[in-house]
Amino acid sequence: MENAPAAPHPEYDLLRPIENPGKSFYYIVAVLLVIILYTGYVYIRQVYYGLGVTGMAQPVTWGFYIVNFVFFIGISHAGTLISAILRLSKAEWRRPITRMAEVITAIVLAIGGLHPILDLGRPDRMTHLFYNGRLQSPLLWDIVSITAYFTASTVYLYIPMIPDIAILRDRGVKPRWLYEFLSWGWQGTEQQHKVLDRAMNVLMVVVIPIAVSVHTIISYIFAMTVQPGWHSTIFGPYFVVGAIFSGIAAILVLMIVFRKVFHLERYLKLIHFNYLSVLLLVMSLLWFYFTFSEYLTSYYGNEPNEMRVFWYKFRGAFAPYFWTMVTCNFLLPLILLSNRKTRTIPGILIASISVIIGMWLERLIIVVPSLANPRLPYPTGIYIPSHTEWMLFLGGVSVFILGYMMFARFFPVISIWEIQEGRQESAKAVTERITSYMPDPEPRYTGSMENE
Amino acid sequence: MMNRKLIDRLQILSLSLIWLLFTGGAVWILNLVKESLRLHDAPDASLGISLVAIPVFFTLSSVLTYVFIGLRKGRKKDVES
Amino acid sequence: MKWGMVIDLQKCTGCGECVAACKLENNVAIVEPKESEMGRTMLWMDMLTVYEGEYPRLRVRQFPRPCMHCDHPPCTKICPVRATYKNEEGIVAQIYPQCIGCRYCMAACPYTVKSFNWYKPEWAPGIRETANPDVSVRPVGVVEKCTFCVHRLQKAKEQAKSEGRNLREGDFQTACAESCPAGAIVFGDLENTSHRVNPLSRSPRATRLLEDLGTEPKVIYLKEVD
Repeated sequence: MENAPAAPHPEYDLLRPIENPGKSFYYIVAVLLVIILYTGYVYIRQVYYGLGVTGMAQPVTWGFYIVNFVFFIGISHAGTLISAILRLSKAEWRRPITRMAEVITAIVLAIGGLHPILDLGRPDRMTHLFYNGRLQSPLLWDIVSITAYFTASTVYLYIPMIPDIAILRDRGVKPRWLYEFLSWGWQGTEQQHKVLDRAMNVLMVVVIPIAVSVHTIISYIFAMTVQPGWHSTIFGPYFVVGAIFSGIAAILVLMIVFRKVFHLERYLKLIHFNYLSVLLLVMSLLWFYFTFSEYLTSYYGNEPNEMRVFWYKFRGAFAPYFWTMVTCNFLLPLILLSNRKTRTIPGILIASISVIIGMWLERLIIVVPSLANPRLPYPTGIYIPSHTEWMLFLGGVSVFILGYMMFARFFPVISIWEIQEGRQESAKAVTERITSYMPDPEPRYTGSMENE
Repeated sequence: MMNRKLIDRLQILSLSLIWLLFTGGAVWILNLVKESLRLHDAPDASLGISLVAIPVFFTLSSVLTYVFIGLRKGRKKDVES
Repeated sequence: MKWGMVIDLQKCTGCGECVAACKLENNVAIVEPKESEMGRTMLWMDMLTVYEGEYPRLRVRQFPRPCMHCDHPPCTKICPVRATYKNEEGIVAQIYPQCIGCRYCMAACPYTVKSFNWYKPEWAPGIRETANPDVSVRPVGVVEKCTFCVHRLQKAKEQAKSEGRNLREGDFQTACAESCPAGAIVFGDLENTSHRVNPLSRSPRATRLLEDLGTEPKVIYLKEVD
């Protein structure tokens, strides 16, 4: 990788990872590739021998693959939802965050969307979904909505990237043809800016209902059955709230990592973390509200099958996971984030990691207990995930990290042109906006009152 | 160095492929709707979903096309290949 | 025509003959002991045990549980590829070459009647020779369940057609009904008044499992008289 002496640029910190990557990048990529290759081998073994290599059995016929499917797609809500909502509400503090968030969405959707394939007993028959799919099945709704969300979020990531790609093209960064190809002839003319603005305005609005629909439809996979613990009307909103919750935690972790690794302290300031972590706290309270409603309703209703699943989670085999989840999702974030003194970068990091773990546990707690406690008098199901399932989980996470690193290697993770736009125009735009909120000046009396 | 014309052609090709992909998706959904009508297997759900999904896909490809054409038109005149 | 089953719990002794007969008739795979302990035993007809009360007044009840062949099956609604569907005669069927093994139907069935081929089914050397040639062997990765011995139905229909007559009650019996030594399992056409299941299904002792779910199962249990 040759390096021409870098032309100075006010936002050089954001360009350095691309123009001057450094050796550790390659080491980490190598380690990740090894993990991913081994995961590939493990998966091929599963296809060859059958799903018997997992820990699933009757009645717990769904395990890690479905848990991770819901988990990864849940994290995807961070990106597009946050960046779309923050752009729509004209929150200026979003500028360094939106692209990072959008990249999470794109990568994690691809990984999550492939997880149902990992779960199939006959992945070789996947084309049956295309030739004979039944649109009545929630799984088909999922395919449609996840595809829609993936394409929407990719387009929504790409279009605001165009001016940045043009910056890289103009600086002659290699591979030149890639940036030429992707920049679509951007030159920063006023007309081009208008086109971009209009497109982003449309996308910002279109992407929100798609994003909400995705996790709602995933919740319908469970809610549309009659199984105790699943057949709940609250699942749609519950899953969306949980998704946004876990997504914000993911963005925070990523922001902290990049800030450290790329030395972005000038861009990701304490105030950004402050605002996002307050949002995380709000989502934690919201999550608790939904969870509380869900379980209080079951408990008060006292329907025997529901109560079996309830006690299995509260007192039975799943009690350790359940109470860990409550601690990770509610108690820890509440303690750490409501106090200004603990709302520091290390505090936020701990809270976010805790939320990610807690939300993964929540997916596990939704999928397994209802299956382990069938209505008819069978022995309670046991689920012990196997090496295959753990490896595929680790592999999925590795693919995410690798994908993100590859993105950061070729494109800036913070939107350079939006930062520059912010420097030049935001203060004026915001001042104008706030002035317009203030009451209009009193009308001037022209003196006619005095002259009777 | 790839020349401007080749890159232009590749860009147009990629955009056409995206339209092809979305049209393919729409055709697929319509095919499934047809099957559900033939088998009397929940045709209403199928129609409902297609009514929502297909416009979404075409909105996306339209936005992309709008940006592509808009950016070309907004170029400064002297950089024509 | 609506095929259904009546199981008289007063006559049932819990001997398990129906369970064995079903496995032999339908080439249901035998899994290794380790797999069976995990819960991967494949029983199209299962024998469920209910314990009531406490020692010394412990009461143990057993009842056979085939697929309920619901009239409103929760499993067919959600299958993404139509590998399970309800046919015109009321039998909820599985199409093995179509199934992609997503196991959604297994998760959705409130009676938990479906089994899955976690590995490729294998039989010990001698047992292969006793396989039923009328029933296809399922490959790895597909879901299977009780089919009300639909292969016997096909044979009976062809026989009746070749003899130019209608199907009689005795022509088509499921393996479990045929094998029950106490005569507790009766199988037939619920809509045909000449079949025994018809009056039996309307007996005052008749009940169905999980009726309040609205699945309308076609396996009717006659409660014990005590």
